[in-house]
Amino acid sequence: MRQSARLQTILDLTAVDAAPLCTNAQAGCHVLSLANLFDRVIQHSARMHGISNDLHSEFELYFLPSKNQIGRVSRNCHTSSILTPNGKENAQRMAREELTEVILKLLVAWRDPLWHFHQSMAHHHDFNNFSSNKSLEMSDMVHELRKGVQKVVEKMQMLGIISNSVSNLASPEALLASDSAEWRLMKDYDLLYCFRRDSNKVQNYLKILKCRIVPEHGC
Amino acid sequence: MADSSPSTNLLLLLLISSLDWLPTPGSAFLIDRDHMTSSAPLEPHFTECISREQETFRCWWSPGSYHNLSSSGALRVFYLKKESPTSEWKECPEYIHSNRECFFDVNHTSIWVPYCMQLRGENVTYFNEDDCFTVENIVRPDPPVSLSWTLLNISPSGLSYDVMVNWEPPPSADVDAGWMRIEYETQYRERNTTNWEALEVQPHTQQTVYGLHIGKEYEMHIRCRMPAFTKFGEFSDSIFIEVTEIPTKESTIPLTLILVLGILCILILIMLVVLTQQHRLMMVLLPPVPAPKIKGIDSELLKKGKLDELNFILTGGGMGGLPTYAPDFYQDEPWVEFIEVDGEDGDSGEKEDNRASDTQRLLGLPHPVSHHMNMGCSNAISFPDDDSGRASCYDPDLPDQDTLMLMATLLPGQPEDEEASFDVEERAPASSERSLVQTQTGGPQTWVNTDFYAQVSNVMPSGGVVLSPGQQLRIQESTLATEEETQKGKEGEESKETEEEKQKELQFQLLVVDPEGSGYTTESNVRQISTHPQPVETKPAATMEDNQSPYIHPDSPQSQFFAPVADYTVVQELDSHHSLLLNPPPASPPLPACHSTLSKPPCLWATLPPTCWGTSHREVTMPSDL
Repeated sequence: MRQSARLQTILDLTAVDAAPLCTNAQAGCHVLSLANLFDRVIQHSARMHGISNDLHSEFELYFLPSKNQIGRVSRNCHTSSILTPNGKENAQRMAREELTEVILKLLVAWRDPLWHFHQSMAHHHDFNNFSSNKSLEMSDMVHELRKGVQKVVEKMQMLGIISNSVSNLASPEALLASDSAEWRLMKDYDLLYCFRRDSNKVQNYLKILKCRIVPEHGC
Repeated sequence: MADSSPSTNLLLLLLISSLDWLPTPGSAFLIDRDHMTSSAPLEPHFTECISREQETFRCWWSPGSYHNLSSSGALRVFYLKKESPTSEWKECPEYIHSNRECFFDVNHTSIWVPYCMQLRGENVTYFNEDDCFTVENIVRPDPPVSLSWTLLNISPSGLSYDVMVNWEPPPSADVDAGWMRIEYETQYRERNTTNWEALEVQPHTQQTVYGLHIGKEYEMHIRCRMPAFTKFGEFSDSIFIEVTEIPTKESTIPLTLILVLGILCILILIMLVVLTQQHRLMMVLLPPVPAPKIKGIDSELLKKGKLDELNFILTGGGMGGLPTYAPDFYQDEPWVEFIEVDGEDGDSGEKEDNRASDTQRLLGLPHPVSHHMNMGCSNAISFPDDDSGRASCYDPDLPDQDTLMLMATLLPGQPEDEEASFDVEERAPASSERSLVQTQTGGPQTWVNTDFYAQVSNVMPSGGVVLSPGQQLRIQESTLATEEETQKGKEGEESKETEEEKQKELQFQLLVVDPEGSGYTTESNVRQISTHPQPVETKPAATMEDNQSPYIHPDSPQSQFFAPVADYTVVQELDSHHSLLLNPPPASPPLPACHSTLSKPPCLWATLPPTCWGTSHREVTMPSDL
């Protein structure tokens, strides 16, 4: 809760900072604010990935899967339909708008499942409060991170770095309307595994994006 | 195998979780083989798959106990990339048989995609589901490069210091593109110890290490890890850090050098001065110690046991006079100050003038021209004026002489000489004869031989002060007798005197202030003191039996004889003639009135009422006004 609150505060701050401070068309000021925005977002994605990793490991401890779940071929994350670059070169070759879209898609896709996961965890008595808080935090973070990335996109579009083709993500739920039922079939453990992987993707993509757009500020 | 492995895996997971080691998916094959019991034959398996930069990876396998499969080509590696449900097993893209390694290059590597590895023999497939992984989970970054350290500070005590260690991220990791983020763990230890001290993992390429000890050598190395992952890479090459106490030593070396050089220079200067015998400088550097040196007398004689020879010389025996014939010692020592033994002529001193005694100076009298002195005492000892002492003439070898004995006292401060002088003094009272040193010429008598301290024995009408030295006074017997008579008669008179007469005589009387102050009163003196308020004559106890009055007659016979006086008296009054009145009678009533008459003493000081003081003051100052 605290983490999500902090994220929200920071994002609000960025919203405040972005508009009034750099009203004049100074490129340096805008770029610096964009770099700062990127840094904040990347920090939160890293934080999110860390939490997902902890949850996943904890889940493994508690439930001790009999074997390595990764061996199960049938396991399929509900976000597998989203085409994501699976390597550095693929990610670098991808257009900025596409990469941004992928990030947003991923974040949008995980908002509801995580919420429901948290709801199911709260009812599990063998899952301690710590993990329950973490699952709630995780779902909040996904929500806030999506907002943050959207702000980054808006700023990039304002600066003309990317085109306005990304704007049609205002209603992300439309993308997954057809797939919305898939995640209900996933087990909790698979869900955690998939989210852990996807949060790592988001983190990597954001970093690549930043170092491509504003490389001079800490890459 | 298939039956036992799930339970075994469960057991292993339990064990590892209890050890707080979180297993990551994709690395299970690493655990399995380590804990397998050796009873079952070890089948070919993969030992490890590692990615260094999250772009490529490689896998190593082992034939296990199946040594017949150890030859290259007997086993083949197949992998499955689960990108789609329709994926197939493919063979290793690149073999490195020497290492039993399968290398997957960039084209064959996909991140976030599950891989499964398989070993196939001729007809056998060795597959373990645990040998599946995703590449991001098997990343072990390369160690950092270009390690260096700088000294931050040293503690005030000089015992510990802090360093800053800097390094570069591994070149294989593409940190600039943001593809990999790396955390670093620094470890250090003392040179010959076994335990490493691990610092907290942090993402920056520098690390501050606090609290290292001066003089000890430290070893440091660093390893890398991806954040939120658990696998560390290899350690970097060690760097060695050591700080000794050189900085403090450097500051003290110049100080010691300067001290040594300074001392050497001073010593050289002194040696030069001594060698070149610059007398002036030598006097400054090595001032001479004054030694007893009398002109014409060898200093050897001044040593103990040779007093007879000294006295012989001093009295002029043999050679007939010191200054003329005595060899002149110490001629070449210019800083020697000589004591002039011969005081006969006033200006015969080579070095110092013959100075008058204190009595003469007080009285303002000319120097004594001649006196009836024995030859022993004809050589009046005269001292330089700056010497506070004076000597009396003494000649112990001539006890039968009536003349004064001049005591040869040398400069004070000579222990040997003081003994001689003490001997002389003791012998003086033994001699029964004393003669008063008088001058033939008119005028008041003058003292030639006086003691160190003289008491005022009489105040003359003219205003002069007659001094009587403490011990070695010499008075003629004739005068002694008359003195005593008059003294006694005077004493008888005094008892009948009226106050005014007393007042008169007060002017001419010596006043004893404190009889018990001087230690020289005898019984007779005490009696006199107690019965009469008059001053009591005090004289040295030793001389009392010699019928000597230790005072000297003033010049005129009409001078009153005075009671013996103490060595020290206090001036109580000053009469109109500016004569010192040493002790007015305590029972004297205050004057009825203050008149400016000669008979009555002026009113002075605290003994008289203030009114008188004012009057007398006027009286006193009147002459000056006129």
